[in-house]
Amino acid sequence: MSQIQRIMIDHTKCNGCKSCSLACMQAHRQDSGSLYDLDLTDGTNESRNSIQTDANGVYFPLFCRHCDDPQCVSACMSGAMTKNPENKLVQYDGKQCAACFMCVMNCPFGIIKPDNPTKTYVIKCDFCAKDKNGPNCVRACPNKAIYIEEVV
Amino acid sequence: MTEYNGCVTCKSADKVLEKFIAQLPMETSHQRVESQKLKCGFGLQGVCCRLCANGPCRITPNSPRGVCGATSDVMVVRNFLRAVAAGSGCYIHVVENVARHLKNTAQAKGPLKGLQTLDRLCEMIGIAGADSYEKAIKVADAVLADLYKPDFEKMQLVQKLAYAPRYQTWQKLGILPGGAKSEVFKGVVKTSTNLSSDPVDMLVDCLRLGISTGLYGLLLTNLLNDVLLGEPKIRMAPVGLRVIDPEYINIMITGHQHVLFAHLQEQLVQPEIVKLANAAGAKGFRLVGCTCVGQELQLRGVHYTGLFEGHAGNNYASEAILATGAIDVVLSEFNCTLPGIEPICDTLNIKQICIDNVAKKANAEMKQFSFEEKARISTEIINETIEAYKTRRPKTTLNLLKEHGNDNTLTGVSEVTLKEFLGGNWSPLIDLIVSGQIKGVAAVVGCSNLTAGGYDVLTVELTKELIAKDIIVLTAGCSSGGIENCGLMTPQAAELAGPKLKAICQKLGIPPVLNFGPCLAIGRLETVAVELAKALNIDLPQLPLVLSAPQWLEEQALADGAFGLALGLPLHLGLPPFITGSKVAVKVLTEDMKQLTGGQVIINADAKESANILEQIIMDKRKALKI
Ligand code: SF4
Ligand code: SF4
Ligand code: SF4
Ligand code: SF4
Ligand code: SF4
Repeated sequence: MSQIQRIMIDHTKCNGCKSCSLACMQAHRQDSGSLYDLDLTDGTNESRNSIQTDANGVYFPLFCRHCDDPQCVSACMSGAMTKNPENKLVQYDGKQCAACFMCVMNCPFGIIKPDNPTKTYVIKCDFCAKDKNGPNCVRACPNKAIYIEEVV
Repeated sequence: MTEYNGCVTCKSADKVLEKFIAQLPMETSHQRVESQKLKCGFGLQGVCCRLCANGPCRITPNSPRGVCGATSDVMVVRNFLRAVAAGSGCYIHVVENVARHLKNTAQAKGPLKGLQTLDRLCEMIGIAGADSYEKAIKVADAVLADLYKPDFEKMQLVQKLAYAPRYQTWQKLGILPGGAKSEVFKGVVKTSTNLSSDPVDMLVDCLRLGISTGLYGLLLTNLLNDVLLGEPKIRMAPVGLRVIDPEYINIMITGHQHVLFAHLQEQLVQPEIVKLANAAGAKGFRLVGCTCVGQELQLRGVHYTGLFEGHAGNNYASEAILATGAIDVVLSEFNCTLPGIEPICDTLNIKQICIDNVAKKANAEMKQFSFEEKARISTEIINETIEAYKTRRPKTTLNLLKEHGNDNTLTGVSEVTLKEFLGGNWSPLIDLIVSGQIKGVAAVVGCSNLTAGGYDVLTVELTKELIAKDIIVLTAGCSSGGIENCGLMTPQAAELAGPKLKAICQKLGIPPVLNFGPCLAIGRLETVAVELAKALNIDLPQLPLVLSAPQWLEEQALADGAFGLALGLPLHLGLPPFITGSKVAVKVLTEDMKQLTGGQVIINADAKESANILEQIIMDKRKALKI
């Protein structure tokens, strides 16, 4: 099934609760456990999304757009960053990554970033590929500020 | 989640009630669980701080400190101590009212119904008096004097009320409490903006509050209540929504302060008052028990036959009880009076009256109880109740649930009646424990909530697991309400117990789960534990006894829990009390506490796993005792 989905953002509904970020951290933690014991002081638990505010305090949820013409992919010389032709997701393969961070420099939205503790790989949204229920951030948002849309 | 006709309610241990609630035309807490199911992870872990204008601050890997520099440990423990202090304050409010009531009653030479308890109290705290009134006044004065001491003056009765080995431990740890009200005050001050930032010091304060809560708010409240209202007596009673009889004018009571109903209770059975009800077309008045104060009346029900209909249900049954349409007035004085009953009362024209302003409900008429004016207040309540009955009944369709609950729940169990039942001393129970016929004792206490598996789900499942392991269960709190409505306190429930416990229950005609009543009765359980320890000549932490508040709900439960830890008991909780964001708090409460008081917190939301853990603790304690 080659369904093409995107996370859409209605920033006017966002209240900066960061539930999306916690859900992303929980979905990608190395150890197992519940939201209760997710270590919030451990730098390896990083979120693939973030919430920014503008000068007026308006919230802007920042999520990887899985771009149609992904600059991160174009910039990547090692083949670590690729566009999946079927589901059109932009995927990252850490094993192939040279940690040159060209992708980081070229993402027009400033979404991806080097991992905080070691700066040896890239923190990148994988659309929760391993979770059959899809993106965890979307399910965690109490305000429906982020939602899934099927695109063609 | 369960769905009936497209309506989603939370899962429930009480299947009959679950179906009833799902089919109601109005919304209850059980429906709102679904719309509130997305929980904030910072809140769950306790790492959200809004103590100053720089907040709210939350802890993430990229922001490990609040603006002021507060760490996750500081945020968590500050929040926790605040909650424990508030919970303690609630119980201290209750004991203060009871003590004042006792003093007022004795001064007015009013009825004192539990003279044996009065003598027991006098003996405990070393008081003599010419007559019961003088004794009661002196007892009340001694309690009040302690409650009102400053925090730097130790309370006098602690040593007299506490088990000696415990007192010594507390003295060594420096956690003997000053005046109980001042301790609450200190907890509030300490946790204000940019004051204490020492998590361990604040956790120690929690223990101190636990002691004042337990000995005064729980233990003494029961005893003073028994003096005023009469001692419990073991008997069989009906429970559940079936107790509601629409042919009477029905008053649902909620709260924790039985004494505030004492005068009204007397009035409602006076022949001339009953005639007023008859004239309105009813057979008389009935009190319908709900929340802990309902458990209080159930416990002492032998004194109120013909008035108290029975305990209908706990806090999260209250909306359903009202939805039957047969309740005319809600008379409340404390928690757990849910705000959610208000729209239901509006819809069904149920009058709400509140007699303690700390629990003023939005649409309730406030009639602040006062001892001097109790006659006027009772008369007004009676008149308004009759009025409510007359105006609302003709326009109300009843929706009763006669199949809910059961007719033979064993009630009236207390530290005194249980001992009497055993033949006047504890040796029969101790022999059963020593011989292994009963593996150990589990006190399943605390509240009822809708999130640890659903309505009373973990409480009931855990209780079933424990009795199946031949562990006898004693209950106190709203947990009792859920467990009794699910039938585990009927003698027939012996079938669910393990073979040894079952045989004992069948021989004695008792259930494997003994109901001590309200959360206040945790104080009675403490007395039982102390008496068992005394008989065995050991300290409390050595007893094969565990404590569980599987579905703790509120701040009061956290203060109770702190008491349990100060007593050195293992304390199981289904859900963590918003502390897991602090490594220090988790370590101190689940590990270091074993060295400090002997207690420990165990957090587990799975009934089977929790029962196994608690069984293992009991087995380890048995082994250490070589039994
Ligand atoms: S990382 Fe940036 S450039 Fe790459 S797909 Fe995501 S949003 Fe587009
Ligand atoms: S950091 Fe890795 S993924 Fe990014 S451009 Fe370099 S090699 Fe490609
Ligand atoms: S889709 Fe998954 S990986 Fe991407 S931001 Fe949401 S939670 Fe994180
Ligand atoms: S969960 Fe939703 S509301 Fe909360 S920060 Fe994320 S996008 Fe905003
Ligand atoms: S007290 Fe500190 S952590 Fe709390 S809100 Fe203020 S700055 Fe933030």
